[in-house]
Amino acid sequence: MKNTNKLLACLAIVGLVSSSCSNLEDYNNNPRDITQEQLEVDFQHVGSKYKPIFESIYQYTPAWSYQLQQNLNADTYSGYMTPPRPFVAGANNTTYNLVTGWNDFIWTVPYNNVMNNVKSITDLTETELPTLNGVALILKVAAMHRVADVFGPIVYTNFGSIEKAGVYDSQQEAYNAFFTDLDTAVEGLMSDIDSPAFAAFDLSYGGNLQSWVTLANSLRLRLAIRISKVDPAKAKAEGEKALSQGVMTSNGDSFFVNSVLSHPLSVIDNSWGDIRMNASMESILSGYGDSRMQSYFDEAVDYPGSYKGIRNGLPLQAGYADELAQKADYIGFSGMNDGVKTSSVQLMTASEVYFLKAEAALRGWAGAGDAQSNYEMGITTSFDQRGASGASAYIMDNTSVPSDYVDPVNAANNALALSTATVAWNAGDNNEMKLEKIITQKWIAMFPEGQEAWSEFRRTGYPKIFPVVSNQSGGVIDTDIQIRRIPFVDSELSTNAAGVADAISLLNGPDNGATRLWWDTGGSNF
Amino acid sequence: MKQNLRLTLFVMLLFSSLQSTFAQEREITGTVTSKADNMPLPGVNVLVVGTTSGTQTDFNGNYSITASQGDQLSFSYLGMTTVTITVDNSNVIDVQLEEDAEQLSAVVVTALGIKKSRSSLTYAAQDINAKELNKVKQTNPINSLSGKVSGLVVTRSASGVGGSVKVTLRGNASIGNNQPLYVVDGIPLLNPTAGQPSDTFGDINGGNRDGGDAMSMINPDNIESMTVLKGASASALYGSAGLNGVILITTKKGREGGFAVNFSTNLTVESAAYMMDFNDETQSNVDDFYDNGVTNINSLNISGGTKNAQTYFSYSNTNASGILPTNDLTQHTFNIRETAQLFDDKLSVSASFNASTQKINNRPVSGLYFNPLVGAYAFQSDTEKLSDYKTFEEYDPNRNIMAQRWFRGTSDIEQNPYWILNRNASEDSNKKLLANVNLAYTFNDWLTVQSRGTYDQSLLNFERKIYATTELTLAPANGRYIVNNNDFTQLYGDLIATITPKISDDLSLSAVVGMSTTRNTTERFTADSGTNGGLQYANVFSFQNFEGNPQVSFTQNSYETRTSSIFTSATLGYQEKLFLDVTARNDWSSTLPASDNSFFYPSFGLTGILSEMFDLGTNVSFAKVRASYAEVGNAFGADQIARNRSIIFGGGGVSSAEPINPFPGTTPKPERQKSFEIGTEWRFANNRYGIEIGYYSTNTTDQFFTVPVSSTVGVGPLANINSGDISNKGFEATIFGTPIENDNFKWRTAINFASNKNKVIKLVDTDIEGVNSLDNFALSAPGVNTFGSYLVEGGSFGDIYALVVDRDANGRPIVDLNPDGTISSIQARDDDSVPTLDKVGNANPDFSLGWNNSFTYKSFSLDFLIDGKFGGETVSMTEGIVEGLSNNSQRKTSNGTVEVVDLDGNQATVSAQDYYGKTGGRNGFTGEYVYSATNVRLAEFALGYNFTMGENSFFNNIRASLVGNNLFFFYKDAPHDPNVSLSTGNALQGVDVLGLPSTRSVGLNLNLTF
Repeated sequence: MKNTNKLLACLAIVGLVSSSCSNLEDYNNNPRDITQEQLEVDFQHVGSKYKPIFESIYQYTPAWSYQLQQNLNADTYSGYMTPPRPFVAGANNTTYNLVTGWNDFIWTVPYNNVMNNVKSITDLTETELPTLNGVALILKVAAMHRVADVFGPIVYTNFGSIEKAGVYDSQQEAYNAFFTDLDTAVEGLMSDIDSPAFAAFDLSYGGNLQSWVTLANSLRLRLAIRISKVDPAKAKAEGEKALSQGVMTSNGDSFFVNSVLSHPLSVIDNSWGDIRMNASMESILSGYGDSRMQSYFDEAVDYPGSYKGIRNGLPLQAGYADELAQKADYIGFSGMNDGVKTSSVQLMTASEVYFLKAEAALRGWAGAGDAQSNYEMGITTSFDQRGASGASAYIMDNTSVPSDYVDPVNAANNALALSTATVAWNAGDNNEMKLEKIITQKWIAMFPEGQEAWSEFRRTGYPKIFPVVSNQSGGVIDTDIQIRRIPFVDSELSTNAAGVADAISLLNGPDNGATRLWWDTGGSNF
Repeated sequence: MKQNLRLTLFVMLLFSSLQSTFAQEREITGTVTSKADNMPLPGVNVLVVGTTSGTQTDFNGNYSITASQGDQLSFSYLGMTTVTITVDNSNVIDVQLEEDAEQLSAVVVTALGIKKSRSSLTYAAQDINAKELNKVKQTNPINSLSGKVSGLVVTRSASGVGGSVKVTLRGNASIGNNQPLYVVDGIPLLNPTAGQPSDTFGDINGGNRDGGDAMSMINPDNIESMTVLKGASASALYGSAGLNGVILITTKKGREGGFAVNFSTNLTVESAAYMMDFNDETQSNVDDFYDNGVTNINSLNISGGTKNAQTYFSYSNTNASGILPTNDLTQHTFNIRETAQLFDDKLSVSASFNASTQKINNRPVSGLYFNPLVGAYAFQSDTEKLSDYKTFEEYDPNRNIMAQRWFRGTSDIEQNPYWILNRNASEDSNKKLLANVNLAYTFNDWLTVQSRGTYDQSLLNFERKIYATTELTLAPANGRYIVNNNDFTQLYGDLIATITPKISDDLSLSAVVGMSTTRNTTERFTADSGTNGGLQYANVFSFQNFEGNPQVSFTQNSYETRTSSIFTSATLGYQEKLFLDVTARNDWSSTLPASDNSFFYPSFGLTGILSEMFDLGTNVSFAKVRASYAEVGNAFGADQIARNRSIIFGGGGVSSAEPINPFPGTTPKPERQKSFEIGTEWRFANNRYGIEIGYYSTNTTDQFFTVPVSSTVGVGPLANINSGDISNKGFEATIFGTPIENDNFKWRTAINFASNKNKVIKLVDTDIEGVNSLDNFALSAPGVNTFGSYLVEGGSFGDIYALVVDRDANGRPIVDLNPDGTISSIQARDDDSVPTLDKVGNANPDFSLGWNNSFTYKSFSLDFLIDGKFGGETVSMTEGIVEGLSNNSQRKTSNGTVEVVDLDGNQATVSAQDYYGKTGGRNGFTGEYVYSATNVRLAEFALGYNFTMGENSFFNNIRASLVGNNLFFFYKDAPHDPNVSLSTGNALQGVDVLGLPSTRSVGLNLNLTF
């Protein structure tokens, strides 16, 4: 009997054990991470998501990720910079042998760090906190138009949908959605324009929502100009809307991300010695005697007293045993000046907006003002931003032209200057020449943001930048026409093959680097 | 006839209870135990000699039989010497049976410490005793199992002394853990590792390091025996932890009688033995670089006690210096165990406490980062020797610091090896505590209840101090400090009732009902000043010296898992002819979603003792057939189903990407393994020879794969889903015998054979919207190198992928030639589902064969083990890297040539130096460095002499032996030892990337018994 009781007691314990299993999930977390509830304090469940967005449009860290996201594509294709090391024995992006493993980052960085966080902010704030949602949407457009400008079609309106998982928008649909998102953003911000809610999370404007509205309008103008050739009516409507709502006018309006992290270029340039000035930069800046040279670059270590750039697309040249041997000869060319490697990342400047307005004026858009004064304001605003002297003389210079390029290491890379455009505005010039001046000066002013510079180069053909020395695309990409886009990435091909197949049908050609994007008409600028 | 007998017996019993006229017949009771360990023996046949009256002992070794004074009782048990005792005037006769040393032990410890007679087992189990284990003592006792158990493959870690060990039983099945469960005295042992390498390049955060394991901290001298339960049928009672089989370790305990003292000391000398083919100069530099290792293990144990209480105490220390200069190990283990039998032996109590400390300086790493072998193997100079760089630093007046010196500029992978050893030095400091209590109370002859509890803690700590002027990719200008501390703690408790009701003479039942609860906690702390963050002041290794930015990292992680289980097992026996075994277990795991956290798994087994059923003649001593089926579920690790975002130190905010979680809309479920096995066991000529043959088939399904998801779906780039089906099928056979036996000379021999065929039947195959099927799943991702291991449907676990040279129909490499006739580039082949790389082999052997021999002649003994692995491949990335970095390989400097064809198919001859210079490198043509992993080696050798001293001598026994380990290969194709691996996880199998060379060791063993 006694034994039976004990057995029953034993069974009872068994019962207890099994009934206590219902709250087992309480243990199943790492309490050193942060839960949704913990994040809600100080509204960090929304606020903490902005920081990764800010820091990933142009990715701060890890620096090698930025190197793949932009530095080894747009920053070099734009004529801004060149790696001194011929990676992969010279067969890499810069020589048009596109390294798919690198280019994946152009896609995944914004999707995994921007789109996902914007979506969760929107889900939390759309109805109740339209100002916070508004900022998120502006950041989303700022990040994603860059992605669309690399690939063409992107997943934008269907992002986050399980039902329509991975369905791409054409680039036109995406641009239309950018404009719509900017509408929603401005409307949301205006609904409570004095709200201090964003101040704690704002890495750009200290919580001043009016500045965000100005940025939204300026972005709208940038996008409108971008589609001005392919969809002039829509471009004009959006552009005039932007101009009427107020765009950036002074350097204080410019869009910088101010992080505590160091600028990725400082790691790539200083620690790794993996990036140097591009020959096109040298040709144009030194040809014009542009004093911003000192703000952008250091004198060449190996050629004291001079600024030296490297031609785009250097192969592993004859006579070098390996990549490092060649790098040793080019690492002493001009590196980036500390002025561009502060912990602030430049994404859009007031000077760019003046140049956009100058082009808008050429295109006859209402509210754009006078092309020449916008052009000259663009230059002086840029000089002011850099603390560079001599802007007034520079504006008047009607003789200096881009200089011929000399490669002191290998004369085979020498190249004659490609343009005879001067700086000074000449009302008698035709629109094409005016546009070349506008875009060339905008290109100088936007440094080091290579993504926008590459996009505008493709849209307009300006400035005239040196073609690659070695074209290893196997005949796919024309050396003189230069690369027009990056093919869809491996991670998408392997996880979203159907989506990519549809996206390819939305292109104007095959999925390679020669196919022009929607806004890249290849036709006349006017 | 039988019916009549039983009736007679019944009538007799009836009479004895009704009448006192049968006064001389009375009930004799007693307990039968094993002399070796005092453990009760169940199922012993007790017979009144000359009659048909007989019974069997119950689970607790108790019996009760009616006999008269003067009758002879015979106690017999397979594998033990039969004892016959005459009934005197006592009513209690306790018997101890001694194991028949010539035979396998009759009693097998099975799951949860339940002892079963070997004959009744429905599954494969193989045991090995202490003597066998310690013939050639190893610092990690698991190494001693190699070749001695069929179906068990031991892969040693390439991390030198104190290294952890990978054990694979019946092939690999899981993308998670494939290591067996270790169970000490019935209780699961926590065998954590602080991490294992997974990258051929190496870990930039401190190097590819072996995070150690618990088994390397167990004193081999404490082990009484080990039993290997190979399949899920045997281990189903352990639930998910036993999915990959179980190694049961029974430790020594005190024995009744006077104090016995045993002291053993072991001194072995190791030398680097199996390396690639260097040219003479390099070989001389390399030989000069490696030291001779010396390992000294001293072990003392004392045991003794009374009938009611026994004590066992042991202490051991190990001092070892490795072949890598500055690498050494110091280890102490301490163990005390008390056993007592109280209240008329109704309550038995056992308590033990184990503590170990282990300190390892400069545990060798593999891969390229922080590995001194890179520089040692790449050094080349016409004027200097490698040893000239033992002076590894020189004064730098610019910084007022001692800076690294090397014969050329350092690179991320290549530094002065002596600098790495002295100025990038690492220290592993590990501790293990294991305390347990076991109470068992015998209520009556059919019910025993026992309860056990364990506290099991492993502290695995690591630090690396990296001095200023270390290569900048690895450490900023002021140096770098990395600390990694781990605390793994397990609390285990169970309550088990053993029920052995008497049903009838023909039917026996032994049942177990129990419950257990396990709580595991992991605390992990990592601090790393990083490659971009750094230290404020050079060469000060402390946290307060860290720069306070997000490039340095401080990370704490805590995980807790709880598993509660109920289980039952029953063995139903019919006349010692047929045994039916059924087990059932249900687990509730905290790692599963709360709504679906319960999972159930059953097993069934049937054994028929042919020798009892049929008359097989006198030559057949024993024969049985067995079959079993089991299902085991396996919950995944902690923090897999609802991960939160992590916080980044230094103002980095929260992590930006979505954490990896189950794909939305799916419910994670445990991995499941279904296994079936059959086997037969035969003994001949009075058990002198025997053979055991088994076949098994397992399917492991619903593994928890992390699959890439399009980043546009918004769930993050990765998500988890259940999928897959991996099958393992194989044969195992053991043949053993004593071919020669006479008064002076005896030869015992055993052969263990096992083959396993693995197939990936299904990988990730899904129709979930947004989740793509997987073409391949990387076990070792190649990263920027060119060795990979992938699971591909139709392939096998452990398939090796390499960058392969494209060849013409005649096998000549196709190359692009420069105008001067040298190679411009070599053409690569790529023809399967894995990008860039092609399948070149598999890391696992097709079959393995171990031949164990023991000769004794008078007081001399000679033991040797020949261990063979047949089939499989291995890649020497070491050779590729050396050829890519230098001209140090023999074939690159031998003026040889290679026949190639150019792109137009024209034959050409290029120098070997040119060709191998182009195939080499960490990302070179790894396909050129593939070797057969087949190898046959003299694994163990021991020549011993036993000094038997007189009764009055101070020493009772002295045994001295000359031992050798890994002495030589009868056959080996690869430049390295294929039995060594860089990781005890699933990654880096079948590749050597500058792993420490395998050693040959010889030594002396002295064992004193007082």
